[in-house]
Amino acid sequence: MIDPITLATPFFIVSVVLEIVLAKAGKAKTNYETKDTMVSLGMGLGSSVVGIVTVGAIYAATVWVYQHRLFTVPMTAWWAWIAVFFLEDMAYYWFHRLSHERRFWWAAHVNHHSSQHYNLSTALRQTWTGGFNGSWIVWLPLALFGFAPAMIAIEKSISLIYQFWIHTEAVRRMPSWFEAVFNTPSHHRVHHARNPRYLDRNYAGILIVWDRLFGTYVAEDDTEPPRYGIVKNLGDFNILRAAFHEWIAIGQDVVRHPRHALGYMFGPPGWSHDGSRQTSRELRAAWERRPGNPSLIPPNAGNQMTRSTGGRGGL
Amino acid sequence: MTLAFLIQTMVSLLAIAALVALAAWAKIGRSVPDLDEPCALRLLADEFPDREIDRVWIATDRGSALARSGDQALVLYRLGDGYVARSLPWAELAGAKRIGAVRELRIKDFTAPRVRLRWDEGAAWPPAAEGAR
Repeated sequence: MIDPITLATPFFIVSVVLEIVLAKAGKAKTNYETKDTMVSLGMGLGSSVVGIVTVGAIYAATVWVYQHRLFTVPMTAWWAWIAVFFLEDMAYYWFHRLSHERRFWWAAHVNHHSSQHYNLSTALRQTWTGGFNGSWIVWLPLALFGFAPAMIAIEKSISLIYQFWIHTEAVRRMPSWFEAVFNTPSHHRVHHARNPRYLDRNYAGILIVWDRLFGTYVAEDDTEPPRYGIVKNLGDFNILRAAFHEWIAIGQDVVRHPRHALGYMFGPPGWSHDGSRQTSRELRAAWERRPGNPSLIPPNAGNQMTRSTGGRGGL
Repeated sequence: MTLAFLIQTMVSLLAIAALVALAAWAKIGRSVPDLDEPCALRLLADEFPDREIDRVWIATDRGSALARSGDQALVLYRLGDGYVARSLPWAELAGAKRIGAVRELRIKDFTAPRVRLRWDEGAAWPPAAEGAR
């Protein structure tokens, strides 16, 4: 079976070329920084090379679970593809949420967020270590339920390909019905932002409805443009630092504070035993308490001010 | 590792080189203004929103800035077309290495271990914190 992502690679390349050329011509809003682009594309290539090592083991584990399945979902049934679309997308939501809210999984995912830019090359800034930290377990229940491993793999690829085009500033907003249901460039800009109000929000893969359902949705506020990257942006363009820095940081914390090893490994990013650091939740809480924060202004103080809190926390 | 995979990887490398060259040619990075005091204060406020800045100094090349906030030093420096900021104890500034007109700070942070500030060779280091900004 040919990997759909391999098939989509020429489309990725042409899209990046188009985004750059349109920006150069003044027809699209985007920024590319040369070294940043090099790191993003290098991470993408490295990810596919490292993936060779892990993909076999992950597929074997999925096949093993499938051999112990509860039901058999026929691959030829149309409803089975609809079902796997929704279930895989929900599995992705929880994988992605786990990858942000627990440091052991964040360490593999952080590199995708380590660019201060948001363009189509950022989409290709993929993990080198995600196959090793077991986050793929999230998809195993689908095999246990009876979806064939090939179905799951195809659906995962479709999700990844879908998520490529939303990494752009060139598209402001899609039609409102589309924004209501699907993950879009606007929703995903929020996800890549480091502004406290946007941290750990909009985890969706294809359908934004999961964020609305599980309370992690925030709309992009035009009065507060996203600032991209991570809370403490990387200090250089070293690709190895981008790939491994959070693993190194975990190792340093565990060695320095062995009694708190579990907290430093599996606590939320920013957790510390002495409270000297801040988690996303704490950063958001501090932002909410800050004087002048629109969310502190009473609802009857004027529509313009209250609008900037709109979209927090679901439908 | 199959021949097909090797070919695919080589073609990917060529494609990356071409895309990076295109991005370099296009020159569509963000415009990064030279730092002055208001600009540095605005960027520092984004990075350290709950910190009060006692005083800020701009490096001679206007590509970096140093600020004092209580017993902390806040450094801000240009990286590509953006800025990166870190904080460290003010007392650690005294250990900065001097390389000509550059002061090199070593930070205990794997993600930004070295910060270089271009500083007036005749100016005091660490800068005197007296006086309001």
